[in-house]
Amino acid sequence: MNILFHIGRYYALLARAFKKPEKGRIYFSLILREIDSLGINSLGIIFIISVFMGAVITLQTAYNVESPFVPRYLIGLTARDSMILEFSSTVVGLILAGKVGSNIASEIGTMRVTEQIDALEIMGINSAGYLIFPKIIAAVIINPFLNILSIFIGITGGYLAALLTNAVSPEIYIQGLYYAFVPFYIAYSMMKTLVFAFIITSVSAYHGYYVSGGALEIGKASTRAVVYSSILILLTDVIFTQMMLA
Amino acid sequence: MIEVTNVCKSFAGREVLKNISHVFEQGKTNLIIGQSGSGKTVLLKSVIGLHAIDSGSISYDGRAFSHMNSTEKKQIRQEIGMVFQGGALFDSSTILENVMFPLQMFSTMTKAEMLKRAHFCLDRVNLVGADSLYPAEASGGMQKRTAIARAIALNPKYLFCDEPNSGLDPITAIVIDKLIREITIDYNITTVVNTHDMNSVMEIGDTVAFIYKGEKWWNGNRHEIINSDNKELNEFVFAGELMKKVKANQE
Ligand SMILES: Nc1ncnc2c1ncn2[C@@H]1O[C@H](COP(=O)(O)OP(=O)(O)O)[C@@H](O)[C@H]1O
Ligand SMILES: [Mg+2]
Repeated sequence: MNILFHIGRYYALLARAFKKPEKGRIYFSLILREIDSLGINSLGIIFIISVFMGAVITLQTAYNVESPFVPRYLIGLTARDSMILEFSSTVVGLILAGKVGSNIASEIGTMRVTEQIDALEIMGINSAGYLIFPKIIAAVIINPFLNILSIFIGITGGYLAALLTNAVSPEIYIQGLYYAFVPFYIAYSMMKTLVFAFIITSVSAYHGYYVSGGALEIGKASTRAVVYSSILILLTDVIFTQMMLA
Repeated sequence: MIEVTNVCKSFAGREVLKNISHVFEQGKTNLIIGQSGSGKTVLLKSVIGLHAIDSGSISYDGRAFSHMNSTEKKQIRQEIGMVFQGGALFDSSTILENVMFPLQMFSTMTKAEMLKRAHFCLDRVNLVGADSLYPAEASGGMQKRTAIARAIALNPKYLFCDEPNSGLDPITAIVIDKLIREITIDYNITTVVNTHDMNSVMEIGDTVAFIYKGEKWWNGNRHEIINSDNKELNEFVFAGELMKKVKANQE
């Protein structure tokens, strides 16, 4: 009963968020602002985790698969495909759920408890559309770029690991990067990223929008936003993997 | 004129407003007074439609607001200005941007006209030279002034203020009260003010409705309030020493 209530209210909120906006031009600048705050502000953390993830996958594979029957160039291939298939979409999604999700929930939650949402409503503005729609659109626009960026940075991280250690020679690593490349994997990764972007922004906005009480509840709502976005991301990941790759 | 007729509102089975009927008059500051938790904010938010009422009706100059669909309500809402208890300023926008906001959303003005109107409103509330401050950088009094300027930006016919002077020092509180009254008279609008401050009542209470535990217990004006023999009202009015002295002086 409780979960049905939340699902129903979530869909109702989304329906309001996607209603025709009052003044299109204003929404355009709101979307740009959100691209800046949700996307550009996440570049740093994406850079750091991607470099390290690429390096770690490369080293792990190099040290664990020391068998004469397994060619060394598979290390580069593994780094490439792991980044594309899981890390740059799912792991980056989880990191963004933590960073962007808690950010959105606390921003909208604060607006709720300080009556800023009431202020929008009383002016006759559709607060769900004004606050949530630009965030969803911004994330759906910018996250695919973050995804591609993460893939490249991760692969570069693996190359740096090859260069700085003697786990695998850089030439063989690069040879592996070119080996058996499946372009569909990129499309698959991109699709996941789009769905995750939608999940993170809409679920977090939902938790922020229905905060009632004070500062303590805002904190709880942002925790819930992160937890539920993360669970939904992992659940979607399983479904996607089974549907697309099986 | 706003007419509230037999309005009831409960939250999860708990009655907060019990069959309230009242008239808020045009060109006057109409006060709603009562203890904390008596239902003032819920009443105000029900009147402007932020809370859906369970029964009863609300009409704005004869237009049955409570029976309208959301598109029709939007029309009326653009005639309403509201000053929320905490100001409810948008904290990622400057003071000037806050006042410009309703103009950008709803007027067909050019940028220059909007700036002119926003500065006129800020001038009207005596807030000059603070355009580029963010709400967090402004004092409590400045925030209230900004909230009032934003509320009057679109020339409302109805102005609602929820405890406009809570959290302000006594001098600023009176200045804000007087400002609200001046605006009401200047523009001949219907103003409704929530307060639990007897100072405000004596200062600007053209009409006063006393809410007691969700019921309208008494109504009158600021002169009648001192001489009423209503027990609960007297407990509220004469809770402080000051009001007792006022009454003693009068007698
Ligand atoms: N959204 C809500 N949900 C449930 N109860 C509420 C809500 N808003 C107000 N109440 C309750 O209604 C009563 C009146 O509150 P309120 O109108 O805020 O009082 P005040 O006169 O101080 O403004 C309080 O007991 C409060 O707990
Ligand atoms: Mg209140």
